[in-house]
Amino acid sequence: MSAFLSVDAISKTFTVGKQTLSALGRISIEIERTEFVAVLGPSGCGKSTLLQIIAGLIPPTSGRVMLDGKAVTAPPRDMVYLFQQYNKSLFPWRTVLDNVAFPLEIQGNSSGRSVRQRCLEYIAMVGLSGSEDQYPWQLSGGMQQRAAIARALAAEPSVLLMDEPFSAVDALTKLELQTLLLDIWAKHRLTVVLVTHDVDEAVFMADRVAMLSARPSTIASVTDIALPRPRDTIATRESASFLSLRHGLLDTLLKKDRPGPTPDEVRVTMDGAAHG
Amino acid sequence: MAVEVGRLLSVPDTVGTARWFGRLRFPILRTRVTGFALVVALLLLWECSARLGWMVSQNWPPFSLVLTATWRGLWSGELAAPLAASMARMVSGYLIGSSCGIVLGLLLGTVRVLDRFVTPLIEALRPLPLPALVPPLILFLGLDDALKIFVVAFAVVFPVVVSTVGGVRDIDEVLIGTARTFGASRARTLLRVVLPAAMPSICAGLRISLSLALVTTVVAEMIAGSSGIGYTILQAQYGLRPEEMYAAVLCIAVVGYLLNMGFVLLERRILRWHQRADADV
Repeated sequence: MSAFLSVDAISKTFTVGKQTLSALGRISIEIERTEFVAVLGPSGCGKSTLLQIIAGLIPPTSGRVMLDGKAVTAPPRDMVYLFQQYNKSLFPWRTVLDNVAFPLEIQGNSSGRSVRQRCLEYIAMVGLSGSEDQYPWQLSGGMQQRAAIARALAAEPSVLLMDEPFSAVDALTKLELQTLLLDIWAKHRLTVVLVTHDVDEAVFMADRVAMLSARPSTIASVTDIALPRPRDTIATRESASFLSLRHGLLDTLLKKDRPGPTPDEVRVTMDGAAHG
Repeated sequence: MAVEVGRLLSVPDTVGTARWFGRLRFPILRTRVTGFALVVALLLLWECSARLGWMVSQNWPPFSLVLTATWRGLWSGELAAPLAASMARMVSGYLIGSSCGIVLGLLLGTVRVLDRFVTPLIEALRPLPLPALVPPLILFLGLDDALKIFVVAFAVVFPVVVSTVGGVRDIDEVLIGTARTFGASRARTLLRVVLPAAMPSICAGLRISLSLALVTTVVAEMIAGSSGIGYTILQAQYGLRPEEMYAAVLCIAVVGYLLNMGFVLLERRILRWHQRADADV
């Protein structure tokens, strides 16, 4: 019996004219139900591509994605992909409420309580009550992202795929949204795959962090994040184990881009400091 | 207010170009009144030039006489009936042409094979001057409504197709991806995402086509007519009844103005989200 969500030897090659570009090279990872996995990597390493393949939005060149025992060939009903560009992803001609209602319209899911009532609940869940009749452009970036999350939740997915969801909001909003998302994840027993280049975010949120190498990307390492939950925006980040995990990941990530200083160079610097 | 005036000319001044270049010092000059003042002044000039003998011609009646002729014509039905007939043709042709244009545009914008197949044909037909088509078409469609409605629809279809295809092509792939991740079918995506997202562009085409429809109706009635306002103008000209001729022209001008204004109001309702979003950026 394989895992709930399994990525099995995925590779992706893009062809531009006569050139072929290998973006992903044989990536495999198994993700358990209700697990929170962060995929960390330098920019341009194909993180988004990987996530879109998992979402069934683009086909892999080889390998396959299995969700709950079924191969993913098109976007599965159970999985929602949250785009990085939330401002482009919200439908500008729909109010917040109507945006959130979109998945319900598509699923033809109007049994029981009224659609409006359910949408308002999702809107309340992300803290947007009172803004339901506003258009996306009337909202700040953080509020737009909240609306996009509410809409994703309205589809009642079991898997949420998020592509750098907080990279475009301001630093404080980012902290708020991270905590909000962890609450939602715990409450709804979601399985989350989060793509990010932010080591802090990955360690703070995830159960496991998979680190990608540069192109063609493979999984360089998988780190278990054994920090206690619920995690606290400030206290967790100040704990010794958080700092050491962050240190380790950041170290590998930076070393991949440029070779670290050789012992000789270190000595020279230290000498310089001593003389200066 | 600069935006208001811009809207009258059918081109919203969202960037504020005119506001920046032509900033006026006197607030009164910035209102819509200024635009009407010029029209009134020119009509007064017309009146004076005819009454005071600045321009002596049998074919240059004072504007007041044109106005009374218009009033008479509308009440007696001599002007009202052809005007109504023209409007009916125009509206039918416009509705047929624009709906065909939107459907065709959506298909061409989304189905690549179709685009390769049909676009060369469209590009070949598009530059054809419509009056040139009327005589051969008479042979097939006769002189009646069928001909005029077809010609109007034919004129309307191209701007709508072109703007619809443009609008569809401009849609951000994130929007389509969003529809897909929620499991929307192709048909649903087309109706609920592609169509509304392309609406601003479609409306631009529809607005261009509206004035084109009026022009085409009148021209078609002049070439192949036995009724309609275009035919009335020609008859008045042949019969040397300048008041009636100008009365008919005046009617067309007013109808054109009202149609455009109605369209702008309707568009503003449909695209409320878009114009506000623009103003915000």
